[in-house]
Amino acid sequence: MTSQTSAHPKFDAAPNKGVGASLRLENLHLNAGGKPDGRMLIGELSLSMNPGERWVLLGPNGAGKSTLLVALAGLLSPNAGCILMQGRQLTDWPGEALAKQRAWCPQFWLDPFPVSAWETVACALFALHPEHSANEVEGHARRWLTEFDVGHLADTDVRMLSGGERQRVALATACAQGAPLLLLDEPSSHLDWSHQALLQARLKAWAADGGTVLAAVHDLNLAWTLATHALLLDGKGGAVHGTRDEVLRADALSAAYGVPVSLREENDARWFRVDLENPT
Amino acid sequence: MTLKPPPLTLALLLAALAVPAAFALGLLSGSAGWGWPTEEIFWLIRLPRVLAAFGTGAALALAGALIQLVTRNPLGDPHVLGVTSGASVGALLMLMLAPAGLLLAPELGAVAGALGAMTLVFALAWRSMGRGLAPSASPGTVIVLLVGVMIGAACSAAVSFMLAMANDQQLRNIVFWLLGDLNGAALWWPVWAATGLALLLAWPRAQELDWIARGDAWAWTLGVPVAKRRRTAIFAACLATGAAVATAGSIGFVGLVAPHIVRLTGLRAARVLLPFSAVFGGVFLVLADTVARTVIAPAQLPVGVISAAVGVPLFLMLLLRRRA
Repeated sequence: MTSQTSAHPKFDAAPNKGVGASLRLENLHLNAGGKPDGRMLIGELSLSMNPGERWVLLGPNGAGKSTLLVALAGLLSPNAGCILMQGRQLTDWPGEALAKQRAWCPQFWLDPFPVSAWETVACALFALHPEHSANEVEGHARRWLTEFDVGHLADTDVRMLSGGERQRVALATACAQGAPLLLLDEPSSHLDWSHQALLQARLKAWAADGGTVLAAVHDLNLAWTLATHALLLDGKGGAVHGTRDEVLRADALSAAYGVPVSLREENDARWFRVDLENPT
Repeated sequence: MTLKPPPLTLALLLAALAVPAAFALGLLSGSAGWGWPTEEIFWLIRLPRVLAAFGTGAALALAGALIQLVTRNPLGDPHVLGVTSGASVGALLMLMLAPAGLLLAPELGAVAGALGAMTLVFALAWRSMGRGLAPSASPGTVIVLLVGVMIGAACSAAVSFMLAMANDQQLRNIVFWLLGDLNGAALWWPVWAATGLALLLAWPRAQELDWIARGDAWAWTLGVPVAKRRRTAIFAACLATGAAVATAGSIGFVGLVAPHIVRLTGLRAARVLLPFSAVFGGVFLVLADTVARTVIAPAQLPVGVISAAVGVPLFLMLLLRRRA
């Protein structure tokens, strides 16, 4: 196969340096499903995400984490307010240009037909880089799979993979797209500990190269080590955002999740403990 | 399970061999046995029939492959769009009501019926074909399938009604039409034209159909105009199906199974899946029709009987061999 020994599958894909994505939300109002009569998820939210930042998206089930990611991907129009990518309204972007700015990795995958793992990754490469030859694309696809420790499964039917393996193929696909802004919907939900560490390392390298990461997660300890910034939705329209120190506080988390969260601080590090036996 | 790379050269070679071989077999075998027919039989009966069989099989297989891709449903086939049933209703109406001596009455009826059903499906499902972007895993095109199945059910009821009202002679014609029959399919070129047009519409953007099959919302985030591609593909599928039904009646099975068999050989990408499905469907139906008209000669079987009798075991064999 065409895969060479290369630690970094840079392609021209890894976030384009200097042109990292800046994303701005202005007075964003979002209801469930984007419907005018839907349950209110986000009442009013204004913030900016800049290159080099790693954001975690927190909140209870049904708080609107996925809906917000879908809206930021451009698949759903917000009920009010606007989303600006590089200072330009999301709706004004042509689809192909937008695909070079953000990659969206959904929470669920349905694979109706047989397809190998590398071909799945190749979709994103073909879509964004039609100028590359088939051999080049296959080589890069295989290298991205290796980055996420699924290189040995490159020729396997994705329908035969385990949940965690399928998730790593999806993450490799999202990274291969080469858009600086990664919108990841629960990227660690099926991953074991060592692969959570791997994911974290990859995302940190991504941001260090000038990319931006927004990932919905449930694990507070992972959120703390992964993030520079955090956005916490309470599911009733409220949202807290800021640096991880400001948002990942015991009182805010306890209120949003409805379970007592305590934390221990040591040398600028925080450990979270959730009391699952005494929900409030 | 490791997926092998597509055996493209081998497939091209096999297709280049199988098509002439199937044509030769179809042209040289007749009710009187094997051999070169008289010139008149060759030009006026055998050749048009073999061409019609190939075109019909290709049209149905292409329509099946397209519908499976854009609805992200492995069970997709031309019947689920309701076009087949609509064409049957049109054809049967003409069989029963048209004045004797009107040329091509059932064919014209089938075209009208197919167009009618197609218009209805499009009118009712237009919104969901466009907006069916499902950020979750569930396919966004369930509405198209449901509308198609509902129209098909209504048409089936109409067919049953007509069966109950028909006299003996009409009943015979109707049954043959419903079972799918290439007997007297003299007009071979419309289905070729429709299949060619459908392939022309769908093939240049076939790669994007693959991405839609992986996830329609995800394909949209890659910059694919999903709604447009989906409408074009469904239009192409309707066109091919309508022409196929007008030529040979309602032949089941080919549209569902031809794309799956081609996929099982390793030709998975839509760019190769679409043309090879068409070729496979064409060759398959030529062979099935050859058997249908010779096995109990001088009588003829409806080709649908043979296509199911051969195709079902073939498909099951391929399926179970891969799983093992």
